[in-house]
Amino acid sequence: MAVADPVLLGAAVSRPARLRSRVRIGGWELAGLVVLALVSLVAVFAPVLAPHSTTQPVAAGPFVSPFHGALLGTDDLGRDLLSRTLYGIRSTWLSALAVVGSGIVIGTVIGSVAAMAGGVVDALLMRITDLFLALPGPVLAIVAVVALGPSLPHTLLAVAAVWWPWYARIVRGEVRALLVRPHVDAARLAGTRPIALARRHLLPGAVPAVLTTASLDIGNLVLTLAGLSFLGLGAPPPTPELGAMTANGLTYLLGQPWIALVPACAVFVLAFAANLAGDGVRDLLDAV
Amino acid sequence: MLRPPALALAATLASRAEPALTVPVRGITRTAPPPAAEPDPTGPVLDVRDLHISFPGGVHALRGVDLSVERGEVVGLVGESGSGKTVLGLAALGLLSPKAIVTGSASLAGVDMVGVDDATRREARRRHAGAVFQDPMTSLNPTMRVGRQVAEAAGSLEAAIDLLDRAGIPDPKRRVRQYPHELSGGLRQRVMIAMAIAGDPDLVVADEPTTALDVTVQAQILRLFRELRGAASSFVFVTHDLAVAREVADRIVVLYGGRVAEVGPTDAVLHAPAHPYTAALLVARLGAHSRVGEPLPTLVGEPPDPRRPAEGCAFAARCAHAEPTTCTTELPEVEAVSTSRAVACVRRTEIAAHVTELRAVETWPPEPPLTSELAVQMRGVTKGFGWGKARRVAVDALDLDVRKGSCVALVGESGCGKTTTLRMAVGLERPDSGRIEHGHGNPPQLVFQEAGASLTPWLRVGDLMQERLRNAGLPAKERDARVRDTLALVGLPDAVANARAGELSGGQRQRVALARAVLIPPSLLACDEPISALDVSLAAVVLNLLGRLRRELGMAMLFVTHDLGAARFVSDETVVMSGGVVVERGVTQEVLAAPQHDATKELLAAVPDFDAGTATEGTPS
Repeated sequence: MAVADPVLLGAAVSRPARLRSRVRIGGWELAGLVVLALVSLVAVFAPVLAPHSTTQPVAAGPFVSPFHGALLGTDDLGRDLLSRTLYGIRSTWLSALAVVGSGIVIGTVIGSVAAMAGGVVDALLMRITDLFLALPGPVLAIVAVVALGPSLPHTLLAVAAVWWPWYARIVRGEVRALLVRPHVDAARLAGTRPIALARRHLLPGAVPAVLTTASLDIGNLVLTLAGLSFLGLGAPPPTPELGAMTANGLTYLLGQPWIALVPACAVFVLAFAANLAGDGVRDLLDAV
Repeated sequence: MLRPPALALAATLASRAEPALTVPVRGITRTAPPPAAEPDPTGPVLDVRDLHISFPGGVHALRGVDLSVERGEVVGLVGESGSGKTVLGLAALGLLSPKAIVTGSASLAGVDMVGVDDATRREARRRHAGAVFQDPMTSLNPTMRVGRQVAEAAGSLEAAIDLLDRAGIPDPKRRVRQYPHELSGGLRQRVMIAMAIAGDPDLVVADEPTTALDVTVQAQILRLFRELRGAASSFVFVTHDLAVAREVADRIVVLYGGRVAEVGPTDAVLHAPAHPYTAALLVARLGAHSRVGEPLPTLVGEPPDPRRPAEGCAFAARCAHAEPTTCTTELPEVEAVSTSRAVACVRRTEIAAHVTELRAVETWPPEPPLTSELAVQMRGVTKGFGWGKARRVAVDALDLDVRKGSCVALVGESGCGKTTTLRMAVGLERPDSGRIEHGHGNPPQLVFQEAGASLTPWLRVGDLMQERLRNAGLPAKERDARVRDTLALVGLPDAVANARAGELSGGQRQRVALARAVLIPPSLLACDEPISALDVSLAAVVLNLLGRLRRELGMAMLFVTHDLGAARFVSDETVVMSGGVVVERGVTQEVLAAPQHDATKELLAAVPDFDAGTATEGTPS
């Protein structure tokens, strides 16, 4: 207490967010954040950055090794691997963000309704959540592709269906913990209605936990999506996808290893950077 | 929280019984650290010299403190939050954070606990020190049986049982097999005390050991400390409450702004304070001398900011006797005024005769007229929690009336159902059966025990207040003015509206919470132990504010407390609860003068008897 008290005491009002300036994160975590920032730029500007078409062969022809006419070489059909990898990153990264985003939205709604309603509604919603949690993601993706036809949105739908329950549980836990705090009673006595209560007095308190989970989660999701695509459960060819490109390259692994390794490395860098950045985000949020 | 992890600290203090010299461990001979110099049996147990401690971020916790604790002595270290008292206690134990920037020395039995390396420090702590912290639940390991934990300090289970017996724990043979959560708060604190006195250490530091406890339990624990005085050698008893210090201490050291303000024998300091701060604490303390119906004399202003230490006397800004030149520029040294007393005040001789005078206090408007109209009426109200066998009835068939213009004190020990009653009265809980009716007027509001926690931490004060007005349907153009006026009513500047709770001082948070409650003056203002967690000077401020607002705004008040002293000061009527039912009710003066029920008598006995012949007689003027 004695260490903390001096920080909080004192008459001044004009000391906004003093604690924030003390936050430090490690070099690796910072590197992860920087890489992810670059990845996001690539995802947005892939059409501008890509030197060639992703579906048409380039002049250099098929099986060109890196630095011999194409920066990262070409594949078995003579398509530019750099362009295809940039588009692959775009597709994987935006898909991962979309799934996490949908998980946060659905999870927040279900979790906060369950926590605030309590009783039967809470029990019912959480059992439904458990039900979705019990579904195996890849199997659901296969079912979705078989039933609805192969396409990226169908795969994402299947993944999103098993992804939100984690967020519902986290939000419910956080909101339940906040509900017993005096500031919620005070807001109720101030006449605040349930929706405003959730929006202003409860959910902002759950943001750090949700963001921490999301940032650690997204690396996982990149691997899952690449894995599904590797199994042929993503967008149909010739759409460039990192997993599918790696699978295609395996045929030529001994003679022309770059065809598999370039997209595989992209997956590795993406997942690694996302995990490092996730640690960084957790450190930042813990310190506040 | 940035609170030091008490469990870890407690663990470092345990395992005292381990042999100190060379120990064979699995065939390897481990050499113990060199034994510390044998303490001089005649010298002080603790000798702190010119100790300065600051923390990164420019927080100056201690600014040149000298303190010595003699063998067998109990020293009360008194000060408000931020005075440096806890840091001083941690320094004596060598438990400061490694980030602390330290100069000076703090010698425990001859070992400088802030200068030597970790191993020596640990060894000295093991042999010479014990500690008791505020919250026994976080200091005990919840996964370990009590016996094993105490045995870690005592050496064997037999020794542990003996220690628990000495700490006044009934049936210690059974208790050693229990886990901490199976014990009551008072018993847990006794377990902590047993661990602290294991091996008869030279010094036991007790940091607010009774603050988290119920009043009646607090009295028992203080009695235990008095009994143990002879056994363990010396105690340093850290507290914010002079009355608690008086119960246990031989000598009192008053800290203010990281420096010693006054040192002296307990009775002498309390009967004739020499420092204006000590005097102000005594006068501002709620007690039998406090006049009902008048504001308490208070300390004006805020406690010093440890980031901006004053150039002169830290107390000058709040002192009624400060002189503009000498006091604000000259750092007062602690100078002996007699063989046993010392004081740090450059004007101590000039002001000696009228040191207990405070700056002019506020005045209150007259009491609101009492009517027969009711602000709230509760009839046959029952509330229980849980189902089936686990069901516990918190409030059983309770009748309670609060008339408009009156203040009713609802008193009782913790767990008697008073808080549940209060929450039902304001509509935060619904009764299982019975009837609650509110009179005409705006809906009731609640002042929470922890004012800071009742403010949503991520919202600005202005937002919170606007929200309340918006919910009540006040037009947008009137809201700003109302917020400004209400902040002014509780003595806060407009700028506070832009701050979040974490950026405010403890006193400001109290005022903001009150301002929010009376933004639309409610017909009934309920208060849940509003002063029990506060320093003396802040408690006086809050009580005065409540008294003034109640009169100015004509609110009825329901005041929940365990402190009959506070009930006497604020209320017209007192209702005593025990075990979920009302056991006594009546006009406050009469209930206190002639308590009928045992529960009331017990509460009365627990109020520290403080006023008999202290310097506060005859004041305030």
